[in-house]
Parts: sequence; structure tokens; C-alpha cells
Amino acid sequence: MEDKVIFGKREVISLLLLFICNQLILGFPSIMSNSAGTAGWIMTIYVSIIALCLFLIISKLYSAFEGKDLLDIGEFVGGNIGRIIVGLIVVIDIAFIISIKLREYAEHIKIISFTQSPIDFLVLFFALGMIISVYFGIEPLARSAAIFIPFIAIGIIIIVAGSIQNFELSNIMPILGTGSYDIFVGGLPRVSIYSGLISILFIPPFMGDIKNIKRIGILVITISGTVLTLGILAYLLVFPYPTSSNTALPFFELSRVLEYGRFFQRIESIFLLIWSLTGLIYLSCGLFIIVYVFSKAFKLKYYRPLILPVAIILSTLSLIPKSLIEIMYIDNRIIRYYSWIVTFGMTLVLLTIARLMKRKRGGITKNGK
Amino acid sequence: MGSKAKKPFIVIVAFVMCLSMTGCFDKREVDDLVNPIAIGFDKGEGNSIRMTLQIAIPTKVAGGGDGGGGGGGGESVSFTTVEAPSIYSGLNMINTYVSKQLNMSQIKVVVFSEELAREGIEKYINALIRGREFRPNSYMLVARGTGNVAERYLRAVEPELESNPAKYYEMVLSAYRYTGFSANTSIINFYKNMVSESTQPLAVLADISQFENSDDINTDNSTYREKGRDYPLEGDFKAGDMPKVGTIKSEIMGLAVFNGSKMVGEFDGEETQLQLMLEGNFGYSFVTIPDPLSADNVVPLNIRQNRNPKRKVEIIDGKPNIKVKVFLEADILSIQSGINYESIDKVTILETSAEKFFEKGLMRMLKKTAQELRSDTAGFGKEMKGKFFTWDEWTDFKWIEKYPDSKFEVEVDFKIRRPGLMLRTNPATGTEEGEQ
Repeated sequence: MEDKVIFGKREVISLLLLFICNQLILGFPSIMSNSAGTAGWIMTIYVSIIALCLFLIISKLYSAFEGKDLLDIGEFVGGNIGRIIVGLIVVIDIAFIISIKLREYAEHIKIISFTQSPIDFLVLFFALGMIISVYFGIEPLARSAAIFIPFIAIGIIIIVAGSIQNFELSNIMPILGTGSYDIFVGGLPRVSIYSGLISILFIPPFMGDIKNIKRIGILVITISGTVLTLGILAYLLVFPYPTSSNTALPFFELSRVLEYGRFFQRIESIFLLIWSLTGLIYLSCGLFIIVYVFSKAFKLKYYRPLILPVAIILSTLSLIPKSLIEIMYIDNRIIRYYSWIVTFGMTLVLLTIARLMKRKRGGITKNGK
Repeated sequence: MGSKAKKPFIVIVAFVMCLSMTGCFDKREVDDLVNPIAIGFDKGEGNSIRMTLQIAIPTKVAGGGDGGGGGGGGESVSFTTVEAPSIYSGLNMINTYVSKQLNMSQIKVVVFSEELAREGIEKYINALIRGREFRPNSYMLVARGTGNVAERYLRAVEPELESNPAKYYEMVLSAYRYTGFSANTSIINFYKNMVSESTQPLAVLADISQFENSDDINTDNSTYREKGRDYPLEGDFKAGDMPKVGTIKSEIMGLAVFNGSKMVGEFDGEETQLQLMLEGNFGYSFVTIPDPLSADNVVPLNIRQNRNPKRKVEIIDGKPNIKVKVFLEADILSIQSGINYESIDKVTILETSAEKFFEKGLMRMLKKTAQELRSDTAGFGKEMKGKFFTWDEWTDFKWIEKYPDSKFEVEVDFKIRRPGLMLRTNPATGTEEGEQ
């Protein structure tokens, strides 16, 4: 692999927060409202708790492999084949998600601002940014995330706090929305909103002395759970169900209705800033993980030559769906339903096998190390 | 990449990015755009609509008060009307003869004719909400009367105190905060209420004055007789009926009441104030109440709503039982009779009388919404919604169908806070009849 970079806890947390919380500015609030009606915010809390529990199990199993990433663990379990299989599964999973998100961001910018620009031009526009940022490596990306996250947070706070005047408590009634079954059983696959958490298991080699994945994970899930819950709660308090379930760009819409007197209007310009910053960093991180995992899975010395072809493949894949409606369907019905299978399912299975094998080989002492 | 190649690479990339960021496909020079500030919809032939745009003329608006063309709304705006099958096809047609491209993002007011509103405006509202350029906070108006009333209203708007007609609309439609005679009926609120299971939408009533000169003024169309009053108070009018003449012909007063997307009735100014009180959105306003001890006189008060109303909905014998308590406070503006209502012993007489006055008005207005209009304009369904656990249980309850059977209990808590700058009224002294 190329030059070894190391960054701190703050950068890791910022990257992971962006990876998970970017959904807030896409269709996430509408999707949660569509799934659970007025109880979309309860469902968000619920899936955050589930994600936390799953992560605690993962971190417990992972404790025996500190400093290693998922590919190293794959190799430990199945040798080269194991590493390649794990690598390919992760690459395909993230490539699928990133290509859809790339198109989603491009479609959204077309709706909001560049209405006459061809979609391939807009996809290219994002892809170019991704290629350049990934070319410079993960370190500038992580540091950019750490720098921009306060600005993004301020933007979100302005939109949420500014909406308080439009809050109406009755909008989140009936309290259980479409019903407890929809929330607690139907909502289980929605734990996929935390699928970005898989990147935490590829970060250890970049973390230097910081070994405490568990603490970082708990912090990230807690903060993202809080941000996502407050975001969707603010949205639901402004837009009553069923209006809340049929908005293409919920957070953009939330910013559009903000108005304080004759001077404080058209706040969506703030939204555009946080939207583009988040989108570019998120998509670039996604591209980096793909090329990094691929190169490590196949033990390639350099990952940079992969950037351009992978970006072209992602852009091409993103243009396959015919319309935004199709993209929204894939996002809602596939990504946010099934992406937990790789993040939590595969990881749990792999770590369990690895731990059993390590125990069999006598590699685990009483304290689990 | 070597450090020698890195710098040129960064420069080239930055250059390419700069070029692509200019948005060449979407470039629209500000000078090439024209901004309509109001749009009106009247019923056209067959399924068509007749759409009127009030377009701001930037050079005139910018002229402001220095004589450069501002001052007269007729000079700072131009009008065009087109008949088209839909809003967007109409815009397309207008773009063929207006030299600049229409940009709808400055629209402040959307006016529907009463005829169209009574037929139902769902398809137009959906189109406005779906459109990216239309602002969700634009005000919704219904122009009273028959024929091309929306066009007639827009053409009659001639702001005299504002060179910028957009500012005129913003100011005049936010005046409900200190008059209570209209309400914040934005498109987004209208849409939310239109699809809601717990409340119904409203729009501001608009019309042009029916009187040409002072001699024509009468109160024939006032609603005071329906209320059993001997004379009209300031709230007993709807837009177009106000007893006034002047250079400003346009009027807004009262609300158009909808059931779903169809207009079913109207509120006059007083009912609009009461509607705002029920919602807790009443700011402050001068309100005249009859003098409790002198039938020929009135007591004007400056009334504020200092607390949100207490609202409670219960189902008794299958029918909604709605209890409302409204909290108001007031400053005395004038006592025509000269009776010393400022004194400790008499102030309660005025307070009790005001309480009864508002209770009677609220009861009359609520019964009208239930029995005549069958529309829950105050959104009592929102209180009811909280009593259910799931959405299906709530929609199965069919609140909107049950609301017309509602029984109401209204209570008003009214407190006089200040007597103004006079602590008591001294009678005029003289030898003529009625003077001391």
C-alpha cells in the first residue's frame, strides 16, 4: 500500500458522522415518515438502539483483533480467499450504495439549482470532485470532515432552531404512527441507516495508537442517533403526516418555509452549502473505501491507479436507473432495508467465526484478548 | 506524482472546476429574467384557466421614491392575462411574448377566483407545491364575486405608500398581526390543511371596493343584521363591502373557508379575529364592543391575546364536545359614554360585558363552522388526534365527518389592564342638552 497515514480520533468521528448523518439531508426523513407515519422519530430512536446493541456485540467480538481491519480478519478466517471474499462483498456493497447516492445527490442538485443541466454533467461534476479528493488521500478527507463538521452542524442547527416557530406538537400524534408493529418489527431492517458504520472496521490501520474502536463507535452512534432523531422530529413537527411522507427533499423543504420577518428569508442557501459539503465528503470517502478495500483485498501495492476507473464505473452505474423515482425506490426499498446484511450480518458472522477459530488455536486469554 | 507535476495538475484541476462551476447549462442573467409578484387564476372556457400575472418592472421599482417611476403601483407593474389548460402551459405561452424569461420565485400572492375556489383548487395547489420556483410562503387569496375577479383584483392593486409592489403585498398581508382581519394563509399551510384529517384550510378574502364616492357609501352588505346588532362594528364586513372610498381600491378582509379543496363559505372580519383567537394567533387589534350601560355608545379597546387558548375535545355519546377557554387582555382606548369604567368597581362591568360579547361571537362562529360550513377551521381535530395511538385508528374515527355534530362550550377570560393616558373621563361642561 501507499504512504501510511495516521489521523486522530476527532477526524475518525467526523468522517463516521458524515457517513451516517448525510442521510438527513437526503430522503431519510420522508422515508421514516413513510414507514412509521407520525412515529418516524420513534423508529429512528429504536433503530439507533438496535444499532448500538449490534455494535456492542461486534466490538466485543472485535476486541480480540484490535488494530486489524475487516480484511485482516477475513484473512485470519479464510486465508487469501477469505480476505478477497470479504473485500469483494464490501466493495460491491459500498459501490452499489455510493453509485445510488451519487445519482441521488446529482438529481437533487438538478431539482434545487441546476434544472437545465444534463444529469450526466452533474454526475461528472461530483465524480470529478471525488476523484480529486481521493487522489490526495484519506488524510485530507478526514481533516476536511473534521473542519467542515462544525459548519455543517451550525447549518443544521439554524434550520432546526429556525423551524421552532412552525412546530406543532399535534403533528406527531397519534404517537405510535402507523402502529407498533411497523415501528418495532417492520422497522428492524431500517437499522440499515447505520450501514456506514462498516467503515469503522477499516479505519484501525489509520488510527495509530488509538485502539478504542468501541468508545468511538458508541459515541458516533449516540451523536448520529441524536442528530437523526432531532432532524426528523423537527421535520415531523413542521410537516404533518401524510404531507411529511411525500416530500422529495424534506430538509430542503424545511429550510424553504423558514421566514423571520422581511429580512431573514430564503434560508435554503444555507442548506445548499451544507448539502454540497456533506455530499462531496461523503461520496469521496465512499470512493476511497472502495479503492482501499479493493487494493488491500488483492494486495495491490498502489490504490491510486484504481481511482479513475472505479469513479467511471460508479458514475456509469449511477446513470443506469431511469429516473429519480427509481433511485428513491432503490434507496428506500433496497439500501435502507438490506444494507444491514453486510454491515452487521456479515461482520457478526465473520467475527464470530474468527473468534471461535482464535479460541480453538488458543489465541484468546481470559480477558478476551 | 512528483512535486513538479503536482502544481500544474492542481492549477489545471482548479481551472476545470471553476469552468464547470459556472453552471453553463443553467446560466440565466438576472437582467434576462422578469419577476411576476402576483398570480391570479380565474375560470376559463371549458377546463382552461385564465391566468393573470402582475409583473414587477425592475427599473420602475428601483426608482423608489425619487420620482423615477415609483409611487404608483400602476407604473411599477405590468399585467398580462392568458387562457391556458394549466399553470405551466400558461407560463410557457406568456414566455412567447414577454421579452424576458419568467421567474416565479418572487411570487408573493396567489389569487383564486371565488368561482374556481368553489369548484375545487386541489390540482392548482398541487402544481404550486410541486413547482420549485413557487415559494411555499406565498399568500393564498380568494377574490370574491363572479367572472374574472382575480384579474380584476390584481389590476386594482395600486400601492401608494410603497414603490415596491412586492413589499406592499408583504406588508398588507402581514397586517393581520395588528388588525386580525386576515390570517397567515400561505400556500404550504393551505396544502397541509387541505390534506389533513384534523383541520381545514383557509384563504384570505380579497375584492375591490364597491363604492366610487362618499355619497355611495352604505352598510347594506354588512353582516351586522345576521348577528342581531343594531349597527355595524368594524369587523362586520367582508372584502369589497367595507364602507370606504379612496385611491386604494383593493381590499382584503375576512377569510374564505374551505372543506378539503373546495370553498364552502366566508368569514367576515370579526369571525376572522375569533378564528385567530381560537388558533392562538391573534396578535393585537382595536376592537369595538357595545357599551354595557349605554346602548347608543361603544367602547373601543386595544385587545391582545396574552396566552394560547385552552382547548379540550371529548367524545360524549358519540359526539364531539369541544371546550375552549380564550384569554384576552385589553387597554381602554375610548369610552364614548363617559361612564367611569376605569374605576375599580366599574371595570368588572366592562370586563364581564366584553367576556359575554366574545363568548357570544365565538359560539356563533363555531356553530357556523360546524352546522353551516361543516369545516373544522380551528383545527380541533388536532386535539382529538392525540387521543388515538395509531394513524389507522385516527382515520377510521373520521373526525371531519363527526365535527358538524359538535357541541361547544366557550369561556373567555377578559382583563382590562390599562386605561390609556386618562385615569377617568371628565364630562364636557356646557349649557346645551346632554352637557353638564
